[in-house]
Amino acid sequence: MMSLEDLIKKIQEAAKRALKEGKAEVVLGYQAGTTPMAVAPLFARTEGDCDKLVWSNFAKTNLSTYLPELKDKKVAIIAKGCDARSAVGQVVEHQIPRENVYVIGVPCTGMVDLEALKSKEARPVAASDEDMATIKLRGDGWETNIAKEEILRRNCKTCICRTPKMADEVIGDEVPSMTPDDYADLKELAAKSPEEKMAYFKGMVKDCLRCYACRNACPLCYCPVCFVDETRPQWLGKSQDEMDTFVFHLLRGFHCAGRCTGCGACEAACPVGIKVREFNRIMEEEVQKDWNYIPGLDWEQKPPLTTYRPDDEADFIR
Amino acid sequence: MHNPYLPYPVRLAELRVETEDKNLRTFKFEFLNPGDEEKFAYMPGQFAELSVPGQGEIPIGIASSPTEKGHVLFTVNRVGQVSSYMHNMKEGDIMGIRGPLGHPYPLDKLEGKNLIIIAGGFAVTTLRSTIVWLLQPENRPKYGKITFVYGARNPGLLLYEDQWREWQKRDDIDVYVTIDREAPGWDGKVGFVPAVTKEVCPPPENTAAIICGPPIMIKFTQPVLEEAGFEPENIIMSLENRMKCGLGICGRCNVGPEYVCKDGPVFTLAQLNKLPREY
Amino acid sequence: MAEYIVKESALKDFFKSLTEGRKLLAPVEVDGKLQMAEADPENISINYTNTHMSPKSAFFPQTERLMAFHNDAEKSDPFVYKPLGLDNVDQTVLFGIRPCDARGLVVDNLVFQNNRFTDPYWKTKYESSIKIGLACHNPCPQCFCTSVGGSPFGEEGLDVLAVVKDGGLALKSVTAEGEEFLKGLKGTESGDTSATMDELKKAAEAKMPAAIDQTQVEAREIMDIYNQPHWQETADRCLNCGVCTFVCPTCHCFDIQDETSAKGGVRMRNWDTCMSWLYSMHGTGHNPRPTKTERVRQRFMHKLKYIPMKQNGNCGCIGCGRCVTMCPVNIDIREVARQMNQ
Repeated sequence: MMSLEDLIKKIQEAAKRALKEGKAEVVLGYQAGTTPMAVAPLFARTEGDCDKLVWSNFAKTNLSTYLPELKDKKVAIIAKGCDARSAVGQVVEHQIPRENVYVIGVPCTGMVDLEALKSKEARPVAASDEDMATIKLRGDGWETNIAKEEILRRNCKTCICRTPKMADEVIGDEVPSMTPDDYADLKELAAKSPEEKMAYFKGMVKDCLRCYACRNACPLCYCPVCFVDETRPQWLGKSQDEMDTFVFHLLRGFHCAGRCTGCGACEAACPVGIKVREFNRIMEEEVQKDWNYIPGLDWEQKPPLTTYRPDDEADFIR
Repeated sequence: MHNPYLPYPVRLAELRVETEDKNLRTFKFEFLNPGDEEKFAYMPGQFAELSVPGQGEIPIGIASSPTEKGHVLFTVNRVGQVSSYMHNMKEGDIMGIRGPLGHPYPLDKLEGKNLIIIAGGFAVTTLRSTIVWLLQPENRPKYGKITFVYGARNPGLLLYEDQWREWQKRDDIDVYVTIDREAPGWDGKVGFVPAVTKEVCPPPENTAAIICGPPIMIKFTQPVLEEAGFEPENIIMSLENRMKCGLGICGRCNVGPEYVCKDGPVFTLAQLNKLPREY
Repeated sequence: MAEYIVKESALKDFFKSLTEGRKLLAPVEVDGKLQMAEADPENISINYTNTHMSPKSAFFPQTERLMAFHNDAEKSDPFVYKPLGLDNVDQTVLFGIRPCDARGLVVDNLVFQNNRFTDPYWKTKYESSIKIGLACHNPCPQCFCTSVGGSPFGEEGLDVLAVVKDGGLALKSVTAEGEEFLKGLKGTESGDTSATMDELKKAAEAKMPAAIDQTQVEAREIMDIYNQPHWQETADRCLNCGVCTFVCPTCHCFDIQDETSAKGGVRMRNWDTCMSWLYSMHGTGHNPRPTKTERVRQRFMHKLKYIPMKQNGNCGCIGCGRCVTMCPVNIDIREVARQMNQ
């Protein structure tokens, strides 16, 4: 496998090329973070900026989140498979013009789940280092290495698009995809009584601060006015009322049905560790079952819930 | 302990449609509880939160003068949820008012000066309060010449017509009411507020200007006054921003370090020149 | 000033006596996260970096019902709001506030009790509480209290300062209320703690990063900082979520909302965030802070320039590091502060 250093070099070269050849006026990538185990998004506009680009096992932000606000500019994006799928989705949904986005795909072996890392190493981390397979942590008088494979994000464990083949160019070595999600746990959930399901969902979101970081980190939540911010009519109360909080997450799940690429940016952004993606996963399974559709793999194919055909099944309307 | 979030209950005593498009109505409130009127002691330029139970609150400048006893007046434009609800209220309905909030126009500091008072559209409300107060026999002698410029798009959008027509008959205030374009039946001035201001503006010496109006009017009137030689310290303006608490706590109305609700809404241009234009 | 020692073996008696006549809030594990919450004296932690959320919610809950009305014309005062939650306010004791967070409460207190108005909902809770701080021996890598005028052994905003010593605690009173409160507690024995505290304080402060120079920020005019070019760069990657504001001990903004039922309604306040476009939006559709850039700038200007201007030079950031740790895109207030000062 290519070393992290080499991959970073390749990313920087690709970004410079995209700027130089006029494919983009800004390249979205990652730069070193100011704290251990963090990288920060970077909007590289000059060759000098490109020298700051890095790759990391902590690249949790889905950079395509920024594409709709930059839709009038030519933008290149350093993209993991899931990020590239989101960009495809945004093009298919007419949020960004295809000709304005240039996807530089980076084959990805998965990102670190910080919660999982913390459960292995709870001491305060003063510095971190990494290579493709190992996370190296240092604290006050201690050092430890953790294999990345042991602390992968859940979505990365079932990733079906580790190499974004639909990208405009792919840099680095191709990596094989993982075994797709079998949704086994959802079958257990489906078997529960409505009361048990309600208790499960309310329990899941009870720490929610309604900060909407999940929504803002999500590349699909590009609505100019989110339903939670509508005031006339106001669909949802703004307090910590558990039903209002639950409805927010539930409706966001519905809105993302057949669109979510499972990038995990929502969960990574959540400051209180809510498994936000669970709502999306449920809908993901439904859409696969009913329409055999997986979003974000094809620049042309429309999501099933945004298309209409006269021969669509309609027997549910009575 | 005084609870500044708790509105004084009031009864809607009179509701009057002010403009032809019916989007502006003047609400005359009477306090339900004896003693609340005294607690609500205000001066021209201050505002209050109009509080509709179950609907919410809106910050509105007080249009009446403290010299008008027994009631308070507010003129409300129909824009959002609370104002729309209020426009459908009936005389006798109960709601609340909370205040007075903010600082008044610095009328004490302006004693001995000439005043030019410039109003655009429905922002005339707190200036109505100011003029009523200034024209009281006990107050009028403390000030020099008073000039009042008031403009609206068309005659149907002018507020308080009975009142300014009365003022026009007096010889202790010069009143110039103007509309943007010629209209049938209009015998007054025609022209935008900045142009009329330029025409009738008194010399800047020992004179202060008080301006309240939409941003576009302020944008073009401010240079007229500056060219006429007014110092920024003598140009007084009242700002609006989205507000909730009105107490300088909830945060949203700030312009730089100043809260429009608690530290304003009245600022001099000299103060505003040092602050971001976030209003 | 009173000084006491609580031996490790006496800790449980000590914590138990804190609950006598008062509600005890202390660092306890709630669903895997350490929170300042109502505590069982058996389960209080004294070895931790800091609580996940700041203690501000003890006095300023995320949702707080302010008043209520009924609409029954047969009863007295229909449609007239009556206050809620101001009578029989719990007497609380907060144990284990970190000195940075205690300073945060001081910043908030000057907002809720400002030069013109007093917020009774804050005041009744804030002033009926005893605040016991726990000094930091091992500051975490993201904190920077000494950079913004604080100390891991700071006393500001506290009634009592405690420090972990030999598995137990050393305590000293900071205020007269604290001194009085300590008198009635169990598990304590008198002992000289000052020398220990001074020594530990020096050691802890030595571990802190270098101060962030803010002399230029202080000296410059508002508009000079406001017009600096770096804001765009920070705004580029900001998601405009509200994480930084929600986890910040000194962010105190709120929204007021009415909710109705068949019989009446309540008026409540909920934490709000200046990162939201809705926050400053006028009813007319005009927005004085229309883009991410204005909103991001507002937050940092408020913490680092506006609050110091209004609160005698005291910084609005107290260096707890929560926003640094929890920002999803690694916007680091220390970095922004450096840029503002350049």
